[in-house]
Amino acid sequence: MTRDRLLAVLTGMVIVLVAGPLGLAVFVLGFGTGDSPCILCWAQRTGMALVALVGLFVIRYGPRPRYLGTAVLLGVWGLWMAVRHSASHVARDVGQGFSIAILGAHTYIWSWVVYLTVLAVLGALIALQREEPPATPSAAAAAAAAGGAPGRAGRAAMALFVVVIAANAVQAFASTGPPPFLGQSDPVRFSFNPKHWVWSLEEWRSVPISWRGSWSVAPPDLSALDPDPAKGPLAGLPALPVRRWLRVGAPLTGVPSDLAWDPVAGRFLVVTDRHEVLVLGSTLARPIHRVVLDAEFSLDLSPLAGAAFLGDTLAVLATNKSYVLLRADSLPAPEAEWRVFRSTHGGVRELRRARFATVRARQMFVMSLAYDQVADELVTVSVPSPRQRRLVVSRFARGDLLLSSEFIPALAPGLRFAGPERTLADYVVTGATIADSLLYAISAAHSTLLVLDPAARVVRAAYAVPGLTRPTGLAARAGELYVLQADGRVAVIERPRAPLAPPAPSRCPLPSPRDC
Amino acid sequence: MEFLNFLLILWAGWLVWRRPERERLAFRLLIVSCALMALLFLVGTRTAVLPGLNY
Repeated sequence: MTRDRLLAVLTGMVIVLVAGPLGLAVFVLGFGTGDSPCILCWAQRTGMALVALVGLFVIRYGPRPRYLGTAVLLGVWGLWMAVRHSASHVARDVGQGFSIAILGAHTYIWSWVVYLTVLAVLGALIALQREEPPATPSAAAAAAAAGGAPGRAGRAAMALFVVVIAANAVQAFASTGPPPFLGQSDPVRFSFNPKHWVWSLEEWRSVPISWRGSWSVAPPDLSALDPDPAKGPLAGLPALPVRRWLRVGAPLTGVPSDLAWDPVAGRFLVVTDRHEVLVLGSTLARPIHRVVLDAEFSLDLSPLAGAAFLGDTLAVLATNKSYVLLRADSLPAPEAEWRVFRSTHGGVRELRRARFATVRARQMFVMSLAYDQVADELVTVSVPSPRQRRLVVSRFARGDLLLSSEFIPALAPGLRFAGPERTLADYVVTGATIADSLLYAISAAHSTLLVLDPAARVVRAAYAVPGLTRPTGLAARAGELYVLQADGRVAVIERPRAPLAPPAPSRCPLPSPRDC
Repeated sequence: MEFLNFLLILWAGWLVWRRPERERLAFRLLIVSCALMALLFLVGTRTAVLPGLNY
């Protein structure tokens, strides 16, 4: 392609960019319908204006390397802005966008299209440029000093650019104001009436800079927790002494992380943080089944931390809420075993591997799994983190393994916090089990047993369990609770029967009443 | 600030169109505007610079 033809194509593309996204945005969406960009939209629109400006530089002065390099950088940055901005909205439910949709897609999605097109056109024009002998030094200097003489189309592109950018400046003044005011994350609609203008400094506020924001959640670390019950958030708890100690006798390759009891078959289920799943006899010594799950080459399994019997099915849960369902099978397919197990003694097959999705417990890890046979639901209790200070009980229907309900428990009458800053989120529940319609949860922080009434959504009772060291699992067996520890020992305690008092009066469980 | 940035772009575009001999100033305005645009985007996303999704 000759240079003249290339510049003609470029001129056409600049006109399309200026009249299309930039002109449409300001004259039709802005002045016409009242659409007002957010601070991120403004940056994306500004980037498009700068791409068009670089195009004018090329039309006027020729394809110099610094122009082409700047155009590539603007295209890449614009694509990044489109990705970052869209990420705030694309994972929401159907039709839930932000601001105006055009042909079914919102403006931040169209930003992808614009910047991808810019990069594609730029690459094509560079690739199609005919190699010409370099100009003599004197000729190049003269051209650089005066600039080329653009044709009629080039001059039209420049005039159009000035008009559209001036209009954008008008809209930016009304919507965002003069410096130091700047765009807003949730702007009001555009108006030519100054009484409706809202100029804000909100985005200048001092906030910590973060790479991932609320997604920066460190994996739970039990070694840093204070086991002292006296320093827990609930005051004046009665003590529940350990009746006797047992030990997991079967050899383990990792740290035991949960325990479950099957009263029908009289067997235990133990999981470890190294993705080991063991079915043990009633003395915790004799292995009946043992498999090590392949944690890497399918759905990502973080360390296992939950175990429950669903009748004949074994349910194991990772801290990232990925779960695996297993079942004893005398004739599992060897190739299927190799695909899902790192090692196996045989006799077990994988039924399903998937993930629990939560709402209130989103962006939180879990370290417990229980099965409510009456409701036919699986239950998890979230682990609070510095960013998400909540203790959330999530229930999943056995039928479809989707979330059926969630709640943040309140305190029943008779329980009180040790101070105004204390909450149930000071506990770190590492084991849970359900018996007699009560949810028992053991906390590694402050060695406390919580007794929750899921129907009333309250903590009915709580007990200090002195002597525990890093409890990681909990199972109910007859009238006792078995508390598994990271060292493989099992503390046996009485299973308290909390009084089924009437539900506590409704109150806001969130830190601030205005959140309710 | 967005208003200021559009004024810079308008100024640069005007120079390219009507004062082509001021190429050096126009290009500097372009670079300043690019930097301001990037800064304003980062101001708007500094609580989570990376997309807020699972990784």
